Amino acid sequence: MLFRNRKRRFRDFRLSSKLIIVYVTLTVLPMSLLGVISFREYTKSIVEQIGEYMPKFLDQANNTIDQHIEKWSALPEQLFNSTDVVRILRKDSYQSRANLNTDSYVVNNYLSRNYLEGSNSEILGVFILSKNRLYAASRMEYTGMDDEDLRVPYGQDIDLRGKAKLLISSDFGLKFDNNEPYLLIMKQIDDVENRTSLGTIFIAVKMSFIDGIVHSFENNPNAEFWLIHSEGEMFYHSDRAKIGSYDPEIHHYPVKNGSFRKEQGGTTWIMSISESQAYDWMLVHSIPLKELTQRMELAQNVNNFIFVGFALVTLIISIVFALRVTKPLERLSRLMKEVGKGRFDVNPQIHTRDEVGILAKSFTSMVSTIQHLIDKNVQTEISQKEAELYALQSQIHPHFIYNTLETISMAVEEGEKETVVSMVALMGRMLRFSVSNKSRWVTLAEEIAHAHDYLTIQMFRFEDRLAFDISVEADEMLFTPKFILQPVVENAVKYGMEQRQRLNLNITITEEQGSSGRERRRIVFKIKDNGPGIEAERLQALNHRLLYAVSERKDSGFGLENVNARIQYMLGQGYGVRLESEYGSGTTVIIVIPALPEAGSP
Amino acid sequence: MWRGWKYGGLLVLLFIITSCLNKDEAARYEVIFSKDTEIQASARPTNEKYTIGMVPKATENPYFNQVEDGAREAAMDLGVELIYEGSPVADTEQQIRVIRNLIARNVDMLAISANDSTRLLPVLMEAKRHDIRVITWDSDTAESGRELFIDMVDPETLGRHLMDALAEQMEEEGTFVILTATSTASNTNEWVKWITAQNREYYPQMTLLQTVATDDDPQKAYSAVMELLAQHPGLGGIIGTSAVVPPAAAKALIDSNVTGLHIAGLSTPNLMRSYLEAGTVQNITLWSPKKLGYLTVVLAKNLLDGAPPYHGQDIRNVGEIRVKGDTVIMGEPLDFTKENVDQYAF
Repeated sequence: MLFRNRKRRFRDFRLSSKLIIVYVTLTVLPMSLLGVISFREYTKSIVEQIGEYMPKFLDQANNTIDQHIEKWSALPEQLFNSTDVVRILRKDSYQSRANLNTDSYVVNNYLSRNYLEGSNSEILGVFILSKNRLYAASRMEYTGMDDEDLRVPYGQDIDLRGKAKLLISSDFGLKFDNNEPYLLIMKQIDDVENRTSLGTIFIAVKMSFIDGIVHSFENNPNAEFWLIHSEGEMFYHSDRAKIGSYDPEIHHYPVKNGSFRKEQGGTTWIMSISESQAYDWMLVHSIPLKELTQRMELAQNVNNFIFVGFALVTLIISIVFALRVTKPLERLSRLMKEVGKGRFDVNPQIHTRDEVGILAKSFTSMVSTIQHLIDKNVQTEISQKEAELYALQSQIHPHFIYNTLETISMAVEEGEKETVVSMVALMGRMLRFSVSNKSRWVTLAEEIAHAHDYLTIQMFRFEDRLAFDISVEADEMLFTPKFILQPVVENAVKYGMEQRQRLNLNITITEEQGSSGRERRRIVFKIKDNGPGIEAERLQALNHRLLYAVSERKDSGFGLENVNARIQYMLGQGYGVRLESEYGSGTTVIIVIPALPEAGSP
Repeated sequence: MWRGWKYGGLLVLLFIITSCLNKDEAARYEVIFSKDTEIQASARPTNEKYTIGMVPKATENPYFNQVEDGAREAAMDLGVELIYEGSPVADTEQQIRVIRNLIARNVDMLAISANDSTRLLPVLMEAKRHDIRVITWDSDTAESGRELFIDMVDPETLGRHLMDALAEQMEEEGTFVILTATSTASNTNEWVKWITAQNREYYPQMTLLQTVATDDDPQKAYSAVMELLAQHPGLGGIIGTSAVVPPAAAKALIDSNVTGLHIAGLSTPNLMRSYLEAGTVQNITLWSPKKLGYLTVVLAKNLLDGAPPYHGQDIRNVGEIRVKGDTVIMGEPLDFTKENVDQYAF
């Protein structure tokens, strides 16, 4: 539960934290795991090595010990080399004390010469107990071997069946001067010829002989050796104080020949055991694992040091890296907030080519696009407002109304009743067209009708000076912006009447295919007059203004420009007004709009 | 930012904790290497008790009685059944009957001191057919009859020694006779061979007059000596290669009041003690018959266990033995004199 909670929260961590955690899990953890594992493996291999060869050494040591004991156990046989000694030992009774003492002297002398001198430096003393007589030869002063208070555990006439019995210092009354621990080899002296026992020989051997054997292959002062009897009594221990005590763990040892690891209170020992082939005891070797891995611990410490240093350096690098990744992101987010507040002229100042750089670039381009779009929208909005304003301007001039009313007044005076009625009706229709619905779009029919009404009224005014004809070769139900034809016609009438006595207007409205096949069909208005025409230079200038001056916001008062601008705002750059003229013979104004089956821009 | 650190720190902490969790108060043991082998049941089950049939040359002979003592001691030590049977006096026919009887009782092994090296062969073959193994001791048969011969001493050493012992007493000149057990017993014949060899080599002044068989019978030996004394008035010495001969000869000397005649040979200290102490006999040779009996049973048991003897083997309660081919030699001969005879209790 806790973990799931954590996991969910991890998702919400900051990116830099995540990066660092990921780095730690990907580098520091595997590295430390690797270190720990390699240390363990190394230790394991050392342990296995020790565990395998130590029992072999112990076997060897055991063999050597057995051989030594074997050698000493064979010593009693030497007695039979001396006929004197054998004769004395076979003797059952004595006639005199002197006789007995002389014999004792002979035997003691023999023992001393044969057992203590020469190569048997480990022998502390030799004692023979025979028929209530004691013969002895010792290197040191001793007590506890007097025939009165001799404490032999099994009595004097035990039947050892030819096998040597081993006793240790604590089992036996014999004590040497400096409490030197010893191993007592006890053996029955068998008279094989007579098939009787002549007594028992005791050979006391310095326990330290084992030291020499075990130290030949282990001289670590922290290693311990001991020999335990199968009941757990330690009769040899490299630590002398422990000789004679019991090993409480003996029954827990998992093997009798081999090695094992013992762990207690946080310390580990490697223990090896070998069972003696000949005797009922085991040789045990114990060494703390630390002793074995000591040399390697130095290397491990160096490793640890390097590891920590390396981890620190890489950690710092990772932090720097994480910050370098997240810093630009933070800056971007700050900039986005600014953009949200309306500041578009922002620059993230990120020039890298990585994902963050790309993001910054996209961000910049997005902001500029937004800015552009906003600008464009504002412009269009303004243009439309202007167009509407122009349209209002394009509506019926008060001047025209004044002229018309004057014409009506003259007609009233002349009594031309019909003319008056007709003019008032036309006038009313024109006014209604102007003020009628707010839509900027009307059908072709309505637009043409409006222009027709205007021309009809002008014809009443100018009578024979003005003539016009309108031909329509297009679907009159198509839509067109309002007030595009009548202002152009008005313009033509205004300029034509100033120059000519008689003005002919020829208006054609046709539906044409687009210039290229893919373009939509369009409607072309052509208003041709027979006015004075325009000089080529001026025509070029005018057409240029019509083509490029759209964005210039100024009221030129030039009617064509007004219409042209509105068409372009409403329908796009591809449409508008242009002039064709031949100086002296007339001008044609051409209005091009798309064929719009519905109201509204395409 | 620091929540991330906390998270990482938690991981590290977890790691440390798990690695520390193992610490425990009770000692734990984990075997690394073990050479412990299950005690194999290959050792032959010993609940089956072996029966060893031991046949001496004669039962009414103190020497063979001592052998029996030793054999019984070994049988007790080793836990084998011992049947010690023989004819009262050395007689091949009777010995064959005893052996047949033992075959019928289906013993595991026969240990025989042969009265006749060849005439026993058929019955020994019969024993083999009944899957009874045969060894000989003290006196051998032909090699085909047995698998092992246990000899007390090297026959050459003994033969030459007996000759030396007599020559020393007779100061290397004079006549002598040899009284043996049976003319067919291989051991005595072998000794006689070496006695004469030593005689030829070193003592040209000494002459062997006659070799007489006594069948290990004290009575027969006594009368034989008496006869020889009568036959050869100037006789200087007697060598007895049967334990019954030297005491019989000594008795005959005392009984017939003959002096200046020297006796050498094989006999037990018990039989000779009084003659040695009285000076009738100066030197007598033997080995420990008890030891021989003991050794025979030990080796028989070992053979049944599938462990043949080897050179230098140290037999418990016996000592080191020598092996020459299929012959085991127990040790060296012992000399008994007035001085040391009290040390021996057989």
